Amino acid sequence: MKLNLTRTFWIRTATIALILVFSVFLFFIGKQHTVLVDNKAVTVNGVELKALQLVEVEVNTLGSMELAARDRDKFDVTGQKHKVTVIYTDANWEEHTIVRTFRIPLMQDMVMILLPALVANPEGDQSLWLENYELPTYAMTAPAEEPVVTDDLAVLVEI
Amino acid sequence: MTLHMTKTQKVLRFMGNNTVPILFLIICAFGIPLSGYSANYLVSEVIVRIARNSFLIVSLLIPILAGMGLNFGMTLGAMAGQIGLIFISDWGIAGIPGMLLAMIISTPISIILGWWCGKILNMAKGREMVTSYIIGFFMNGIYQMIVLYGMGAIIPIRSNALVLPRGYGIRNTVNLIGIRKSLDNLLTVRLFGIPIPLVTFAVIALLCLFVLWFKKTKLGQDMRAVGQDMEVARAAGIRVEHTRIISIIISTVFAGYGMILYLQNIGTLNTYNSHMQIGMFSVAALLVGGATVAKANIRNVFLGVILFHLMFIVSPMAGKNLIGQAQLGEYFRVFVSYGVITISLVLYEVRKKRDRGLAGLVLAAEQEETV
Repeated sequence: MKLNLTRTFWIRTATIALILVFSVFLFFIGKQHTVLVDNKAVTVNGVELKALQLVEVEVNTLGSMELAARDRDKFDVTGQKHKVTVIYTDANWEEHTIVRTFRIPLMQDMVMILLPALVANPEGDQSLWLENYELPTYAMTAPAEEPVVTDDLAVLVEI
Repeated sequence: MTLHMTKTQKVLRFMGNNTVPILFLIICAFGIPLSGYSANYLVSEVIVRIARNSFLIVSLLIPILAGMGLNFGMTLGAMAGQIGLIFISDWGIAGIPGMLLAMIISTPISIILGWWCGKILNMAKGREMVTSYIIGFFMNGIYQMIVLYGMGAIIPIRSNALVLPRGYGIRNTVNLIGIRKSLDNLLTVRLFGIPIPLVTFAVIALLCLFVLWFKKTKLGQDMRAVGQDMEVARAAGIRVEHTRIISIIISTVFAGYGMILYLQNIGTLNTYNSHMQIGMFSVAALLVGGATVAKANIRNVFLGVILFHLMFIVSPMAGKNLIGQAQLGEYFRVFVSYGVITISLVLYEVRKKRDRGLAGLVLAAEQEETV
């Protein structure tokens, strides 16, 4: 079969290519991730960092939440680049605000921000306080068996 | 020359032409007071349903223009839309980008299915509706094979929330929380306390404008000509079969988009049943709006959605208040949705015969005058 390289052919090819590029763009901006914010004692580079007594944390503009020591919560975000704002009070009752941006790997569903590590390394690399998180296998409950009803009238056979 | 009709004849003719909407108006007029719902509640529910269903129903207009009757094959497009939604749920794409991506995925599937459906319908000229209805059932089998056995086994699906415990096949229900109401909530205004999803209405308005514009294009005029008389259209140089296939492709693609819009509003995908129900209800709603197999317009769409869904909303509560059982209302609305299709089809045939008789009378009167 001979390919007819007419103007129409090129316009169609360009349109399809454009739609494919747009699809990839949508995939990048629409990919949803869960950001866990964790306020538990953590060991970073051999140093144990204690949990904060009380910390206020916000990811992007999704509303802030207060976490006490040993608390963990989550934010659902879309896209890869985000901003975390942490407000805490130190031992001298001075309030500090840390604002950092971070990037989530595209295919990573869950990441966890280790708040004590972020507070200890506010200027440090994101790898010090952000880790990829996989749901532990024990947390995944065995899904219940479910009958698939593909035909509404199938029930009549049993009568 | 025209036949002179008395006022009574004119009224009877009007009622005959609008039997179904009048019947529904009467049902609603009885049902609304019996249900006990407030006007505010009813209006807000009807607005939700207009936003949810209109796009799907508008997708039925173009095949009617091309003389192919009510496209029950719109379920094919709905299946394509659902496949798009399954993929974006698995990939975790949320919000408007998720919806757009689902639409992009559904488009080539809808085009292929629409082309295939159109080809078959060209082989069954004059019996398009029943053929498209059966094609829907046949395609449902293939859809089930792909979704129930292909996905997870051949087509990679990562999410445990989607795959059946056996490791392949998609679960009965898919949670669309990522895209739930993402379009409806994009811009909402409250009018007398009733939320109006402006962007969804804008999208529906755009589709209506597209249909109006399309009717005036060369292709739209060709479709109208094909719908009126295929042989005359062929003699005029119109590619009849090609035009009919295009009308089905357009309808199928829009049905896919409509299904995505519908499910983003609901927030849950009933994997194996949603698409089958939607074809029947969309056709019924259009017929309730006063459309026929051969003629339908945008007015019919909106009147149909309002009347049909008003009946849907009030009938369970009306049944409960009247007899003490909400179940009766449920039976009633299912019975009515199938019944209305039957009544409309019968009335269409009766009207066609009556019009033929009238045309005969006009011809006879003209001949008498000539003699």
